[in-house]
Amino acid sequence: MATPTAGAALGNELRAGTVAKVGSTKRIQELNGMLHSNRPNVDITRARAYTKVYRETEGMPSLMRRYKASAEVYRTLSDNVYDYEQLVGWPTKRIRGANFAIELHAHWLAEDLPNLRDRTYDPFEITDEDYKELEEDLLPYWKDKTMAVQWGHYVTPEEWDRAQFGGVSDVSNYLCANGSHFIPAWTEVIQHGFVKYYEEAKALLAALDPNDPASIDKRIFYHGILEVLEAIRDWGERLSASCARRAETEKDPQRKQELEKMAEMMKRVPWGPATSFYDACETAWAVCFFLFVEGAGPSITWSRFDQYMYPYYKADMEKGILTPEKAMELIEELYIKVTSNVWFQSTQMAYIFGGYYRYPHLDVGGLDENGKDATNELSYLCLRAMRYVKTTSPAVSIMLHQKTPDALLYEACELAAEGMGHPSFFNCESLYSMLEHRAGGLHGYSNYTRKDILKFGSPIGCVEPGAEGLQYGHTDSGIINVAGCVFAAVTNGKKATGVDGSLCGEVVTYESGAPESFQSFDAFYEAVKGQVKYAIDECHANLLICEKLLAEQFNLPTFTILLDGALERAVDATAGGAKVNIGPTMQMVGFGTLVDSVAAIKKVVFEDHAATLAEVAEACMKNFVGYDALRAKLLAAPKYGNDDDFADDIAADLWKWFADCTMVLKMYRGHYCDAAIQMVQSNVGYGAMTGATPNGRLAGQPISDTMSATQQADTNGPTAAARSYGKLDFPAYTNGTLLNMWISQSELLAQS
Amino acid sequence: MEGKTARVFDIGRFRNTDGPGIRTIIFFKGCPLHCLWCSNPFGLSSKRQLVVKFAKCTGCGACEAACAQGVNQVGEKVQVDFSACTLCGACIEGCTAGARMISGREYTAWQLYEEARKDAAFYRKGGGGVTLSGGEALLQYEVAAETLRLCRSNYINTCLETSAFAPWEQLWAVAQYCHTVFVDVKHMDDARHKALTGVGNGLILENIRRLCRALPRRGGRVILRLPLVPGYTDSPENVAATARFAASLEGAPELNLLPYHNLGESKYEMLGDAYPLEEVESRTGRDPRLLELQTLAQEAAPENRVSLGGDAILLD
Repeated sequence: MATPTAGAALGNELRAGTVAKVGSTKRIQELNGMLHSNRPNVDITRARAYTKVYRETEGMPSLMRRYKASAEVYRTLSDNVYDYEQLVGWPTKRIRGANFAIELHAHWLAEDLPNLRDRTYDPFEITDEDYKELEEDLLPYWKDKTMAVQWGHYVTPEEWDRAQFGGVSDVSNYLCANGSHFIPAWTEVIQHGFVKYYEEAKALLAALDPNDPASIDKRIFYHGILEVLEAIRDWGERLSASCARRAETEKDPQRKQELEKMAEMMKRVPWGPATSFYDACETAWAVCFFLFVEGAGPSITWSRFDQYMYPYYKADMEKGILTPEKAMELIEELYIKVTSNVWFQSTQMAYIFGGYYRYPHLDVGGLDENGKDATNELSYLCLRAMRYVKTTSPAVSIMLHQKTPDALLYEACELAAEGMGHPSFFNCESLYSMLEHRAGGLHGYSNYTRKDILKFGSPIGCVEPGAEGLQYGHTDSGIINVAGCVFAAVTNGKKATGVDGSLCGEVVTYESGAPESFQSFDAFYEAVKGQVKYAIDECHANLLICEKLLAEQFNLPTFTILLDGALERAVDATAGGAKVNIGPTMQMVGFGTLVDSVAAIKKVVFEDHAATLAEVAEACMKNFVGYDALRAKLLAAPKYGNDDDFADDIAADLWKWFADCTMVLKMYRGHYCDAAIQMVQSNVGYGAMTGATPNGRLAGQPISDTMSATQQADTNGPTAAARSYGKLDFPAYTNGTLLNMWISQSELLAQS
Repeated sequence: MEGKTARVFDIGRFRNTDGPGIRTIIFFKGCPLHCLWCSNPFGLSSKRQLVVKFAKCTGCGACEAACAQGVNQVGEKVQVDFSACTLCGACIEGCTAGARMISGREYTAWQLYEEARKDAAFYRKGGGGVTLSGGEALLQYEVAAETLRLCRSNYINTCLETSAFAPWEQLWAVAQYCHTVFVDVKHMDDARHKALTGVGNGLILENIRRLCRALPRRGGRVILRLPLVPGYTDSPENVAATARFAASLEGAPELNLLPYHNLGESKYEMLGDAYPLEEVESRTGRDPRLLELQTLAQEAAPENRVSLGGDAILLD
């Protein structure tokens, strides 16, 4: 047998979970190893439950069917308990499984199932039996009923194709990710347990007046909610019994005691109130994965974990039943468990959002409801836990403000220096301003009070502003590839040939003018803006249809239960049950490429007259083959991210333009659209669909990521880049902004 | 002074050496010393110079076509006759690989201040600011002094890194505006100093002595630096003599021992020059031989702080 290469050896160690055996204690090291020794795999429990219920409920009200299906999922969830665990329950039969949403995925999966195990991006393991059941029974039932198929009834085949594979104005993410981007009412559910909602729903049901026409739908709503809650209660009892069974056969006396303790705990939470930090962690875990199973999308968010958990931490420390080390161990176990939630996506979306990552999120720091610094011991422990456990999830974040203690910032820098991408740094000033205007339109305000914002406001998922229990809406829904827009502006609306996706060489937006027709930079600039606006408007029209379908057929009872006031309003989350309804929103991708392209044309064509716009168009169409000299000139033009106003002024103006075009658009549920710039890693997929751009970038290469400068174009160092970014109006992007910056480890540690 | 400019070859932002905090370092072009180990050869000549990054060259031939002097001959890679270059810039315009530039640009004091203030927001924490380096800033002392005066009056921390090889009046014209002046002592033996750097050490040592008296009275401080170039400046005798010199100075200034590195080597090739010290190895901060020298120096100068490595100096 040949000796394995270093890479293969590492691969084997990864599969065995040995290299991942890191953590602050033996328990955590073993759990971490167990997590990483599993490959992402498909679980069909949810698909089976949905199919069973939908078959049994033909002809019943749509909302009733959805709620019954959700309840059936909880009734059939795995009751596995593994060695070393302290927190109980798994969303799937196997670790790192995806209990995927068949009602959203069946149309593509019916065709692509044979490739699922070895597709290029995000392959999934699946057992032969499950494969067979999917192929023969489950997929045939759902393949013509998914959201994407239904949306297709409202648009032409050309529009269907363009919005999913054209690569400029894209809604494909929204079609397969219903139930996402959410901060449940953590404080309340941990403090009172699900029983509170159960009692509340019962009382509201009893108080209905059958002679009031509004009661007709409400009665269905409450019956459905009660059935879901009963299933959650039964799940807890089932898991308690499972722990007790394990305890009976356990030989090790210490582990036996742990299992007995776990069985006791599962009788208390998440159904009832948490009585300790340990209980509270269990509720935090269970609620998180319930939402990840019911919803198909990313970003179920722990938000201000250090705030709502602190009372339990403090009380336990006072009683002497907890130590910081024990608390950190529980936090590390939460991190391992949440990392187990892989994102199941279509082959097309995996190409854009590859990596299985499901964007859970946890914040520390920030202000309290009175505007005081909210930092406490847990803020430090949450950051420190990640330095030990080194998992990809959750995205640990620090909410910075003028009163943030230096020590917390240093703790964050120590974590950043690990080079894992943790933590994210958020500026509360921008965040609070975004929340004040969230979904409020160009001149309006959100429904948030100042107190809501200070007490509950935090980022969701990547970066989107939200608030605990108060907000619902999908936040990375419509995607606008502005690098594609600038290519279209130069080529009279076309997409390049020889790139990925469909409609290559064809008009994918609109004809904004032949390149030789532009007599001035201003005329060309108007065409660029026109292309961006066109893409946004088209995307918006498609999103409206999706939104209507979701509200009518794809309801989310568990999300609804965990929204403040939604039970009283008797309105599902998808239909507007939240206090603040937001989304779907408009995301920009390729901002740096757009700005640099416009700046290069301004400099080379309209100031230096070193080439005509028609020559630039020709060069882009031909991917600069035979245009080396022109490409060198375009590459040498001023670039965004260097503290150079020539490019930065264009950036500031186009930045505002995108937000302004978005924020005037009204969504299906009556609020306004929010703009964002936050799409991580998608710059690679969209780059592959985009022709050569006038900044000198070659066809198919990645476009710039998030709001960052084009890769390697910011040559004046991080402070110059930060000055460029600082010229933009961040709060105008009411759905959030994301900046990726790389600073070398030695510099970071030297500075801190 | 009116309209007077200085020739600068680089302005580096987000630097964390040569002073506290985050710093902008302005590198003045031209130096009266020619140390064999110079790590920044762009700073040696006062003249503007063609720089060719040979590693980037694709051999496309555009520079050969663009040059009227026949400076560039393209084979697999380009051959450059630097001595025939007239600095017309045609080859830079033509280069498709972005491999060429001219080192040296003129700035007024106000323009340099404007560069320095760009990062003012980042200086705040950690006491960062501007450092004048080179080359030797004192060769262009008028603009250097005015730049630091503008920075000082706008609350920007100021440092000077200098050889102190200049008439006292010129040195003081600049140093008087400094929070910190870093002065190199290359060798305590005058003849050896001349052999290694091209000039003797008399003026330098005298200037240091005066600076240590004058600068603390204005709230500034002096830090002495000795580059430890193996086989050239790092003999125990020289280190001890340097430390004794430091001990003899007013105010017991810090002595900062700088381990040698050869990071500047590749820059010589870009100017068409050869690196004079090819055979010398770099040493890292924790090398036992360096620690030994640090101990030796500390014993010879018990009242002075003796630090090792550019990042080990005491911050403000």
